[in-house]
Amino acid sequence: MGKKTIVPIGPYHPLLEEPEFFKLYCDGETVVDMEWETGYNHRGIEKICESKTFEQVFYVVERICGICSTSHPFAYANAVESIGAVEIPVRAKLIRSIIGELERVHSHLLWVGLAGHFLGYNTVFMWAWKYREPVLDMFEIITGNRNSYAMFTIGGVRRDIDENKASQLIKVLEDVKIKTDLLVGAVMDDPVIHARLKGVGTLTAKDIHDFGAVGPTARASGVDIDVRRDDPYAAYDMVNWKVITVKEGDVFAKAEVRLLELYESISIINQCLQLLKKEKEGDIKAKVREIPAGIGIGHAEAPRGEVFHFVKSDGGNSPVRHKIRAPSYNCITTFRRSCIGGTISDAAIATAAVDPCYCCTERMIQVYDHNSGKRTMSAAELIKLSQQKTEELNKQFSAKDRS
Amino acid sequence: MNEKDNLMSIENYISDLKIRFPQITNVEVINVKRLMVHIPTSVLAQITGYWFNELNYRYIIVSAMDSKDGFELIYHYSDDSSGWIMSLNVMLAHNEPTVESMTPIVYGIEWIEREIMDILGIQFLNHPKPERFLLPENWPEGNYPYRRKIRKEDR
Repeated sequence: MGKKTIVPIGPYHPLLEEPEFFKLYCDGETVVDMEWETGYNHRGIEKICESKTFEQVFYVVERICGICSTSHPFAYANAVESIGAVEIPVRAKLIRSIIGELERVHSHLLWVGLAGHFLGYNTVFMWAWKYREPVLDMFEIITGNRNSYAMFTIGGVRRDIDENKASQLIKVLEDVKIKTDLLVGAVMDDPVIHARLKGVGTLTAKDIHDFGAVGPTARASGVDIDVRRDDPYAAYDMVNWKVITVKEGDVFAKAEVRLLELYESISIINQCLQLLKKEKEGDIKAKVREIPAGIGIGHAEAPRGEVFHFVKSDGGNSPVRHKIRAPSYNCITTFRRSCIGGTISDAAIATAAVDPCYCCTERMIQVYDHNSGKRTMSAAELIKLSQQKTEELNKQFSAKDRS
Repeated sequence: MNEKDNLMSIENYISDLKIRFPQITNVEVINVKRLMVHIPTSVLAQITGYWFNELNYRYIIVSAMDSKDGFELIYHYSDDSSGWIMSLNVMLAHNEPTVESMTPIVYGIEWIEREIMDILGIQFLNHPKPERFLLPENWPEGNYPYRRKIRKEDR
């Protein structure tokens, strides 16, 4: 093998601008190895949780991630409620599922926008984020906050969704559905996007099994897993929906899974709202006196995959040990397979395809010269490279059209 | 599958597991669809191989904690066909916290093992890359942030 170059991506990811650090070892244009460094923004949340009461931990874990701020409380609630064998009211189950799915809608729209920006499609970026706004506004109407909703508590939820809010939500979702059609059309029918994303960053079902990857990353490689169906919690066994899987495993497949999941989420919310209408006004919270000693293991399907919480209680008022596993922790490691063998200009979108969430996982990408150890490329240059490649493809396609 | 069948099959599963690995010290159903298998370190690799390669369980994560009797390592796997979470519980002595690395069997376990190495000071034998992961390079040797100075149980 000839001279190798190390390309450092980070300490800020070119796409997401959160601390993370990947070293890509390159031989010419081809990536031959990858290294992952972390610890830049460790907040010690697991440790903090041990000094909080069970009730307070909700607000700590909610702040692990700003985008999927309900998935951590969701998994934590499942874990703690399983220790105390708490049965939550049906109304609370429905509201939990509505919040969970609404979050998936805004998170997937955010990803579509960022992926578009990354490829040099800034129109897609602006559209997707514009359509995400009404969803966030809806969150504000229901919970009082656009993010970090503080909806969950042990035994149920803290705020009810009344008739008026439900009808507003239905109207917003109708609109989002129309806009999703538009985005799906823009992505699925664009020959340049096909050329740019198909066969890039491919993960096989074996890769997924080896790393324990979850969520849309796994489902895009034909691995049919979804916590919502496999181990139903909240109201997911009360509604009809299907798990979206695509076989190819490349970046395009991941985009396809996320876009199609938008429809499923919208359908789940609508069904939950109908059930909520039938359900009489009533309790949204079960009374919980204390959490007995024991071990609680809870998981929930976040927009990025399975969130896993392990809680050990000794019968006191705070957890003895609280272990949190965010989906990105297992998905990021798959970069070793998805980037290696590809070109540098594809590395950026291949890493972005798993929708890595660094506040969850808290880790950092960079490009170094393998021999001298010198930094050869900055994050902004990497984005530029990615955008240039799309531009070139665009030119090729339009030249073909003319001829 | 209804609730009763589910319990029946898990009982069969547990007895089958005990026959396969007689070294298992204790098996408990801790909650609905949650199984905890207590084992000595000697059979860790065998059971991990059986679960991960033969039964195709999905690797989730390893939880480590400093408890009264030693360092507790809990390897979590998920059987996605039934929704059960299966956990392997290994107890390591406080004075000799060493265990075989599972990275040769489960590729993705590499990073969490390095993290546990950092925060609790547990040695993973035959780990392909036993380097710092979470803590900075200049972190003092022998200082493990998740080890307890005062155990909660002692208070």
